[in-house]
Amino acid sequence: MKQVAILVSLFVLSVLLVAGCTAAQPGAPAAEGGAPAEEGQITLTYMASQGWIKDAELELAKKFEEETGIHIDYQIIPADQYFSVLKTKLNSGEATDIFGGQSGKTDLQVQYDVEKNAVDLSDQEWVSRHDPLSLDMVSLNGKVYGIEIWDTIASNYFIVVYNKNIFAQQGLTAPSTYAEFKDICLALKDAGINPIYEPISDGWHHVLWFPMVGPRFEELNPGLAERLNKNEVKFAETPVMVEAMTQLKELYDLGCFGDNALSDAFADANAKLASGEYAMAVTTLTAPVSIEADYPDTPAQTFGFFPMPLVDNRLAPAHPAGPSKFIYSGSKHIEEAKQYLAFLAAPENLQYLLDNTSEFADLNFSGLTAKWTPEQQEFLDTYPAKSIVYQDAVNYLNPQWMDIGKDMVAMFTGAMTPEEVLVSIDQRRADMAKTANDPAWAQ
Amino acid sequence: MRSRAYPFYFASGALALYLLFYVIPSIMGFYYAFTDWNSYTTEVNFIGLENFRVIFTSGASQNYMHFVRNTIVFTIATILLKTIIALGLAVLLTHGIHRLAYFHRVVMYLPAVLPMLVVSLVFKSILNPATGLLNTTLRSVGLDFMAQRWLVDVAWAMPSVIGVDTWRGVGYIMVILIAGLQAIPREYYEAAAIDGASGWASFRRITLPLLLPVLTVTTVLNLLYGLKVFDIVFVLTNGGPGRATDTVYTAIFDEFSKGRYGVATTLSTLLFLIMIVLGYFVIRLMHRDVEE
Repeated sequence: MKQVAILVSLFVLSVLLVAGCTAAQPGAPAAEGGAPAEEGQITLTYMASQGWIKDAELELAKKFEEETGIHIDYQIIPADQYFSVLKTKLNSGEATDIFGGQSGKTDLQVQYDVEKNAVDLSDQEWVSRHDPLSLDMVSLNGKVYGIEIWDTIASNYFIVVYNKNIFAQQGLTAPSTYAEFKDICLALKDAGINPIYEPISDGWHHVLWFPMVGPRFEELNPGLAERLNKNEVKFAETPVMVEAMTQLKELYDLGCFGDNALSDAFADANAKLASGEYAMAVTTLTAPVSIEADYPDTPAQTFGFFPMPLVDNRLAPAHPAGPSKFIYSGSKHIEEAKQYLAFLAAPENLQYLLDNTSEFADLNFSGLTAKWTPEQQEFLDTYPAKSIVYQDAVNYLNPQWMDIGKDMVAMFTGAMTPEEVLVSIDQRRADMAKTANDPAWAQ
Repeated sequence: MRSRAYPFYFASGALALYLLFYVIPSIMGFYYAFTDWNSYTTEVNFIGLENFRVIFTSGASQNYMHFVRNTIVFTIATILLKTIIALGLAVLLTHGIHRLAYFHRVVMYLPAVLPMLVVSLVFKSILNPATGLLNTTLRSVGLDFMAQRWLVDVAWAMPSVIGVDTWRGVGYIMVILIAGLQAIPREYYEAAAIDGASGWASFRRITLPLLLPVLTVTTVLNLLYGLKVFDIVFVLTNGGPGRATDTVYTAIFDEFSKGRYGVATTLSTLLFLIMIVLGYFVIRLMHRDVEE
């Protein structure tokens, strides 16, 4: 009996010891990640994926610190791991004060569970100046949970950027059908020029080809997105989607993406376009401006644009969802974080961000001066934006972006067929819908 | 054995911690394998063998048995390669080369000291098909036909990963084997030499049998390491191209990041069972050989 008593008391003691270790935490210094914070100074931690934070925003953060004494500690995570890290942090209750996330209803609800993890920002002043389409992407059940400071046209329209000089030398013009596009690729290959720089190694870029032609799917099948969301039809049962995927596979098999596509990285896209090594790349409307900034010998007007021509697409991809900022509901500095977002959304600071970011030509807030080039304006005038892209319009699609990427690589390398890739998308949509208790998927 | 120097309760503190941090979580893990635990709801429901059904009857994109197969191929290949190469090096650096032997041992061991992430990133650059050191070298000496798309070709990705892992792990195994070799008394070799035994005969009749306990240890170490391989695959190929090099642990990581904790736990439970069974048999098998 005595032994048991000793045993129990020892167990209790060891549990207390462990509990004591965790309770010691609040005394830890406020600054994290080696930030140069002075004693007593508030530090806001802010986690974002690579490419979401522009240099001008870092400058604004410094200005904010000068004005308020609040330091912003940016934690930038590589793009391919970002969502895993973010979800892990959200689930373990260790998210940063401000966290970045791709906007869109499915992401807000399923990925970040904003109703639990983010702070309601509906009462903020900048809400009234935010572009309504973008605002809708950061809202859920009538409440605004984030701010999306982004160029939703220039940075979000992924279209084909082509080298006009190379096209002129080869006697080629921008295609209006898939067949013409394929002929262009083959002609360029015959002339010894790599047709398209397609960086597959990043895992996300080659996926763009599919949901970005969503407006075309919608044009051929009016109401398709809605029926997909009601689970009345599946991806694999939609012939135009099978056709788009098959055409993409054909482009890969024909060698249109060059020999090294599986190892190529998007970070090199501008360099490859600037050098003329590749005639085309799927990138943004502002890529030529960035190229000119980095390679002064290649002026922006060298390049023209056309929409991704799978299934004869001629529509611009309206894509109001983009990198957004949310305030973590578990943050100790919610008011300071709101203050920072309001600072970023002040008209003069938005204009500063717009003027000092080469990838941006306009921002999704009213009252700013845009800076379109004639080539960009021509694209916007030539190709109408009739409906939004499928990663925004169709539920449960955007969160499986990287998985689709893996499946598509399996398709390129022959391990899966185009139909199997679509079946696999349907499967993951069903999994997500069921776990989110979506009534459309209830059996 | 009956008369203990210390009473049992002296161990109870350690035992309590061990229970709290090892035994209880493991049992909880087994339980979660039978639930639909996920990141989207806070409810956890018991769903019986549903997760196991998902794993054993999966489709083209989430072919879990394919991941199990990849893991086993990786494990067997790395065990064989590391053991054979390390044994060769150990014998060479113990009985063969005497000049600068310590220096060579250090050089061979060096990769084991490097973090896996660094090794993987370096090799990712070396193995780049267009700009990598390996292919550039091969092409510059006219061996163009040997230049492969190492990490992005379905046929070459797994062998490349195995190769990199062997390069990194062989020094570690070699050091353990050298320790084992040095423990074998020199007299045996002298006696064998007097009896006219050849080098091969003394290796087969003296070195191997006396080294078997050490080889058992290295094999079990390699086995457990191989079955739980993650970092090198994650950094080198991230399971690609497609899912050609996905292993059980990259799949578990994938499931966890998708928030399907139940399926992820089931996979790790399954791997745990495989580890126990294989580990047990390897030890039994090699011990029997020693006794014979």
